[in-house]
Amino acid sequence: MSFKVAVIGDVDTTTGFALAGAQYVHVHIDKNGTLSKLGELLADKEIGLVLITHRIAEELGAEFRMTIRKKGLLPIVLRIPDKTGYTPKVDELYNLIKRTVGAEIVVRAEGG
Amino acid sequence: MAEAVSAVTPTRMELLKLRQRVSLAQKGHDLLREKMDALVIEFFEVLKKIGDAKSAALNQLSLAYRALSVCSAVMGTIETRQASREAKRELEIEISTRHIMGIVVPTLEVEELKRNALSRGYSLHTTSSVLDDASKEFEKALGLLVKLAELEESANAIARELEGTKRRVNALEYILIPRLKATIKFIEMRLDEMERENFSRLKRIKAMLEARE
Repeated sequence: MSFKVAVIGDVDTTTGFALAGAQYVHVHIDKNGTLSKLGELLADKEIGLVLITHRIAEELGAEFRMTIRKKGLLPIVLRIPDKTGYTPKVDELYNLIKRTVGAEIVVRAEGG
Repeated sequence: MAEAVSAVTPTRMELLKLRQRVSLAQKGHDLLREKMDALVIEFFEVLKKIGDAKSAALNQLSLAYRALSVCSAVMGTIETRQASREAKRELEIEISTRHIMGIVVPTLEVEELKRNALSRGYSLHTTSSVLDDASKEFEKALGLLVKLAELEESANAIARELEGTKRRVNALEYILIPRLKATIKFIEMRLDEMERENFSRLKRIKAMLEARE
């Protein structure tokens, strides 16, 4: 099955990915608009991958996490840094490891 | 010490049933534990891959942003945006599913990600070559991000399964099995107690019978 790619980001991010061929782009303006758009994108059966910048994901906060948790297998939501290279300090993956494997294993692969 | 199941009749039949349940629970526990170990190994393998994929993707992405900045500087921001609107946007990714230890994980593949300047769809005579560079970098970055998305989703799926398995292992190990064992112990004690009661009762009866003769 082939799916389409959607991007939620600031103007530059969306410009770049539109040049690369991403089909749906949404420029983030305010929280509510982006949240409803995100809901639409997740409900769309044609979309397989949603890219969202870390900064916006953080701005959407708890509601974003709730939405992500409720979604099915597809589309996949991936958070990417924006043009300033902004990534959150708390690593999502690190939390995941801590939660699932237990606190006793915290050493992980270099660069992860 | 775990609490024994209170509503239990202390009979030999019940004891046998309970013993069977314990051995079944133990078997289940061992199996789940093995599954958990296998999942942890799988999980860490995926994590290792994520580490590499992530650094590659992020590097490429920052290169792409830089190329875009150059493009905006050379061509102007508005013209760049205009070109991005004109660009052909029909990227399709192939998504299929794969099973790791019974967990469904997606696999993503992109066809024809890299395009040449002509097939991108924007007008060539109003745009500069830096736009082509930026597009190329973004196409590359998108390819790497797709791979990363696949790996992260796999890690998430495995983690979810791992959590569930862990909960079940712990429920068996710390709640169900101790409770069953406590119940078994309770029944054994009760049966022994009954035996002793019976024994002394018999002795007493015997003494009475002897006294009567």
